[in-house]
Amino acid sequence: MKNVYLPITVDHIARVEGKGGVEIVVSEEGVKEVKLNIIEGPRFFEAITVGKKLDEALAIYPRICSFCSAAHKLTAVEAAEKAVGFTPGEEIQALREVLYIGDMVESHALHLYLLVLPDYLGYSGPLHMVEEYKKEIGIALELKNLGSWIMEVLGSRAIHQENAVLGGFGKLPDKATLEEMKRKLREALPKAEYTFELFTKLEQYEEVEGPITHLAVKPRGNAYGIYGDYIKASDGNEFPSEEYREHIREFVVEHSFAKHSHYHGRPFMVGAISRLVNNSNLLYGKAKELYEGHRDLLRSTNPFANNLAQAIELVYFTERAIDLIDEALARWPFKARDEVEIRDGFGVSTTEAPRGVLVYALKVENGRVSYADIITPTAFNLAMMEEHVRMMAEKHYNDDPERLKLLAEMVVRAYDPCISCSVHVARL
Amino acid sequence: MGEKIRIGFYALTSCYGCQLQFAMMDELLQLIPNVEVKCWYMLERDSSEVEPVDIAFIEGSVSTEEEVELVKKIRENAKTVVAVGACATQGGVQSWTDKPLEELWKTVYGDAKVKFQPKKAEPVENYIKVDYKIYGCPPEKRDFLYTLGTLLIGSWPEDIDYPVCLECRLNGNPCVLLEKGEPCLGPITRAGCDARCPAYGIACIGCRGAVGYDVAWFDSLARVFKEKGLTKEEILERMRMFNAHNPKLEEMVKRIFEGVKE
Repeated sequence: MKNVYLPITVDHIARVEGKGGVEIVVSEEGVKEVKLNIIEGPRFFEAITVGKKLDEALAIYPRICSFCSAAHKLTAVEAAEKAVGFTPGEEIQALREVLYIGDMVESHALHLYLLVLPDYLGYSGPLHMVEEYKKEIGIALELKNLGSWIMEVLGSRAIHQENAVLGGFGKLPDKATLEEMKRKLREALPKAEYTFELFTKLEQYEEVEGPITHLAVKPRGNAYGIYGDYIKASDGNEFPSEEYREHIREFVVEHSFAKHSHYHGRPFMVGAISRLVNNSNLLYGKAKELYEGHRDLLRSTNPFANNLAQAIELVYFTERAIDLIDEALARWPFKARDEVEIRDGFGVSTTEAPRGVLVYALKVENGRVSYADIITPTAFNLAMMEEHVRMMAEKHYNDDPERLKLLAEMVVRAYDPCISCSVHVARL
Repeated sequence: MGEKIRIGFYALTSCYGCQLQFAMMDELLQLIPNVEVKCWYMLERDSSEVEPVDIAFIEGSVSTEEEVELVKKIRENAKTVVAVGACATQGGVQSWTDKPLEELWKTVYGDAKVKFQPKKAEPVENYIKVDYKIYGCPPEKRDFLYTLGTLLIGSWPEDIDYPVCLECRLNGNPCVLLEKGEPCLGPITRAGCDARCPAYGIACIGCRGAVGYDVAWFDSLARVFKEKGLTKEEILERMRMFNAHNPKLEEMVKRIFEGVKE
């Protein structure tokens, strides 16, 4: 008798940001088709903000995503500042990076403990872990609260920060609060290290092992970081941010409200592991030590390494934020905000959001946005993610479908996708 | 205590920020033993959108045909429906446009087609009866605590009927509108945020929505818009960021500007 194969589908992938599903079509010959269905509705952010006042458009962009709203805000603000020809002082730049790190710490802690860890411990979600894993949930909440608090102090709130504006900040915290921030970051360091140790123990499935091209922003300056004006690829290429469209092509697929992207005709990956692959030489402190000691687990060839890479970044960015606060304090006191003259122009900003390269290209005419192009990390990753889910399915399509579903979801979760981010992003 | 309260957190098209805010409350740890979470995809794999619940929290705007069906299903299965945040209550920032859907689609996706059916973003109450609303982009943690607290003891949350200005004055912040002449929407926006943005010297963008328009006592401050050289169109455009579906918006802003003595 001929085997009958029903499609294996997850309608709604749990424990990710946004709404997406997986569809695996299997036949006698094996896996025929794998699709990540992105069903969250389109939001047309670029189209909506064209014609709007620049400051009002800048208030709207972070609403693309709550998990990385500070990343969106700061990247949009930098693109706008480049467009109008303004460069903020180093002290403002340092504090903006601290705000950005708040987002990074919160997002990584949330992803690792609440979204990823339950799979490995056999739970359907973190709410069930509260009793048995008090310590882990406690650390998750402490790290997450630290990130939220940093964003609240520097950004006005943990989600959708209004305090980051053209020219700087609406208001700066006082010196004592920045000293307190340093103290809290120092206290968090052992917890970040604990997280790293914990995640070294988790399996990185060899089913999805294979070559991956990684793209990351090349940091400005000599430290591993967030802001940069060039994109580096693990194939040795490097290009200025403004030329992103010459190297990355976006296209529509019928099963997704989010576009897919190819780099030189092939899927590619962005994210914490991609940052390590391209910029690990710029790590320092405890994170560098951990990286050197665990290179075998931080392979460029496995998307599951992204979880551990995020854990190493928790350590790195906690230390980095302290140094950045010191840089700002060395210039204390300074003005919160410079007057910015809104001239016509075009600007591109590329930064490293928690989930990878984030691109904002904005054109300003007569004080209003006349062109906007935003590409988010998840949109960059979708094609590669689909390929890795397919690799997983090819090894497991004869297993219990529930097992395959879980493994497929775990691949997706390793990427830490942000689906809200991905659905709207497109060029004009 | 008797049976556990069954709750569900459902997402339509949004940024997931309302759920994130909800998940970020440390008080959640105290709530967990007393409720049964039937649906919360952001945190729970064992979720179902069709299980009966006592309280359904809905985040996001209705932005696809599939979401129209989903909200109807949620309503059928829920005793109480709470619309959460700017998208669910006001259509969200994705409603801040006059352009038709076809034009938006073409701008972003070109001639390509997708197998799901997009719609223009709308608030949840355009499709189902909503019992209570939590405002804000995102709502404050205390909005959730207040709503949950009242519902759990068998009472209900009351709407706030005074503007951001009231909280701002009580906190003694310098006035962004009077002193800087910036288009602060505090005088006409629902309070509850403790004037979060003006406290940072940032003009309010109205994320909690227009305060009930017949609250008259703030008119004098709202009228300052005109004195500061802000036009009716400017204020209306700014108000539309978070009030695109408010049918009374134009009337409200018109009244404010007409109230100014030349």
